[in-house]
Amino acid sequence: MATERRAEVTWQGDLMGGSGTVESVGSGAFGPLDVSWPSRAEDSNGKTSPEELIAAAHASCFSMALANGLAQSGNAPESLSVSATVTFVPGTGITRSALDVLGVVPGLDEDAFRQAADDARENCPVSQALKGNVELTLNARLQSS
Amino acid sequence: MPRVRRTADVTWEGNVARGHGAISARSGAFEAFPFSLASRISQAEGTTSPEELLAAAHAGCYAMSLSNELTQAGSPPERLSVTATCTLDEVEGEGHRIVAMELEARGSVPGMDAEAFRRSAQAADESCTLSHLVRASADVNVRAELEEAS
Repeated sequence: MATERRAEVTWQGDLMGGSGTVESVGSGAFGPLDVSWPSRAEDSNGKTSPEELIAAAHASCFSMALANGLAQSGNAPESLSVSATVTFVPGTGITRSALDVLGVVPGLDEDAFRQAADDARENCPVSQALKGNVELTLNARLQSS
Repeated sequence: MPRVRRTADVTWEGNVARGHGAISARSGAFEAFPFSLASRISQAEGTTSPEELLAAAHAGCYAMSLSNELTQAGSPPERLSVTATCTLDEVEGEGHRIVAMELEARGSVPGMDAEAFRRSAQAADESCTLSHLVRASADVNVRAELEEAS
């Protein structure tokens, strides 16, 4: 069954001097969040940006795909700590999303964990939506429980 | 040009069916948003999801692209409203995929007619980096409508 998720943004003025707001999202989980070109392309100054929101989408999607892959092979994780760092080159676009995961997974060795993490990197829905022109890198490590 | 990097952190505990996670932004703009499988694929119940965050990213990116296109056409907008709707679906043989992103733009743009606004809205889809990227798995559609300038 298809699931729809919605977000609303308003913008006032030109790109360089104007400003915008992620007014609300369908779930009601957040908003308003301010955005602007300077906080996107230079220092964030506490404001989010499209790239940070993609990083949040990618990290959360990857963590679920990895938890699923590990559980299916009989090693559900105790915990996964994931970060995604998205690189934006003004004038070129988004060039990279770098995933970093530290897992606590009882009974699993490092090689098997890396393999499961690579499979999640390749196949999670957000990876599939971004792949092609974006480099998707992965650094996966196990922490002893 | 400088490279800009933005990072988000996620923690996840347990298996996918009954586990849960939390999402934080390094900018400090948001912290510890909860998420889970149930709230991702059935009722959201106040909880965000990867697809909602992607919709927010795309609406923000597209609004900036459209503002830029309108300014280059000589008519910077007074106000733009952009709604992005992201659809996750099961695709046979592939599992869950992001299959569609619908963008609806409404604009208050002094001195611009409806046809020129639609042209800028199309150009913004072509210049928006996220529109370009998500086409790896999603159909992207843009609908644009001009409002009366105030």
